[in-house]
Amino acid sequence: MFEKTDEQLINKALQGNKKAWLSLIKRYESSIYNYALRMTGNRDDAMDLLQEVFVSVFRNLSNYRGEGAFKSWLFKIAHYRCIEFYRRKKPSHGLEDVPEVECQQGTPEQQFSAGQHNGKLAVAMQQLPLAQKAVVELKFFGQFTFEEIAEQLGISTNTAKSRLYSALGKLKTLLEVDYA
Amino acid sequence: MPNYDKHELLAAWLEGTLTESQRDAFEKACSQDEAFSEHVAAANVAMMDVDSHSFQSVPSWNRDATFTSPDTTKWWQWQALPAMSFCTSMLAIVMVITGFEVRVDNGSVTLGFSSQPNAQQLQAMIDEQMTEYKDQQTAVLTQYTQALQQQQLATNTELTKYLLSSSRKERKEDFAALIEFINQQRSDDQMFYARQLNKLENHIYHLSDTVTDPQQPTLNEMQ
Repeated sequence: MFEKTDEQLINKALQGNKKAWLSLIKRYESSIYNYALRMTGNRDDAMDLLQEVFVSVFRNLSNYRGEGAFKSWLFKIAHYRCIEFYRRKKPSHGLEDVPEVECQQGTPEQQFSAGQHNGKLAVAMQQLPLAQKAVVELKFFGQFTFEEIAEQLGISTNTAKSRLYSALGKLKTLLEVDYA
Repeated sequence: MPNYDKHELLAAWLEGTLTESQRDAFEKACSQDEAFSEHVAAANVAMMDVDSHSFQSVPSWNRDATFTSPDTTKWWQWQALPAMSFCTSMLAIVMVITGFEVRVDNGSVTLGFSSQPNAQQLQAMIDEQMTEYKDQQTAVLTQYTQALQQQQLATNTELTKYLLSSSRKERKEDFAALIEFINQQRSDDQMFYARQLNKLENHIYHLSDTVTDPQQPTLNEMQ
């Protein structure tokens, strides 16, 4: 009832109110962490990405104009950070490239983590290229509309829809194999 | 029935925004297009998976590290401070140039720009300057006189010393010459007396012979 809105917390954080900033983090850290976990498939990388995202968000907080939901803006930054993360890790790979097989297997700890807690979709997502993975993540887990996804990823709505369609074409096989 | 793209139909279905015609096209595609129906099935599975998905709790992490306190400007870093400093400096320069002064007379404060002193003040200033100049000149003259006296005294002393030493030397040389002359005289006398003695000896010797030989002259004859 008395919970402050995102805008109120942002304004206070911009004035140097640490408590407001920490409240804002606690409100969204779970979403970002799980997003990062699914996008990277690794807990350590997810934690690094989580920290990078919030550092970047704080640095750019004054640029947030209040146009659109804060969550969309937050995920937009998270996506850019995620791309940076992948570029650092695999500089030669493009966003449309299919990840290497050995990278998908991960450590037994990672597989356990993904399989037991994140579900089949999260595991299957790891087989997708980053561009398609991001659309699947935002559509199914983020529950964003295609317009919001397009705005966050800096692509057209039609491209977002097309990427999801292509992703589902690959996922259907992976999910069927899993369910078989 | 219009021809819709498959990904458009799937997207509209996912967002629940299918129109009547799109719904018809969607149902038709599901029944006739196996690939499309598999896409829809995969989307269904994905949505069900998400519904049963459990979010992982966030491990403990350093949230404070993401917060950097905004720079608050200290009072001594006030941006207008340099401008204010410049203005006060300029004001001070103008006040000095224009001769600005503040006078307090009988409890009243007068602000003014007076640059010309009156005749009395001017005379007093001149007198003060002259007195100062006179004292300064007297001191310099006294100092000069003392120096001159000391220099004169030193010169006299040196001259006296020189005269004394030179006369002493001359006397010493005169005495030396006198002694040498006397010594020479004595030497001559000695030689004279020696010759006389020789002569006498010879005479005495001849006398002794004469006593024995009457042919020999006497001493008086010889002289």
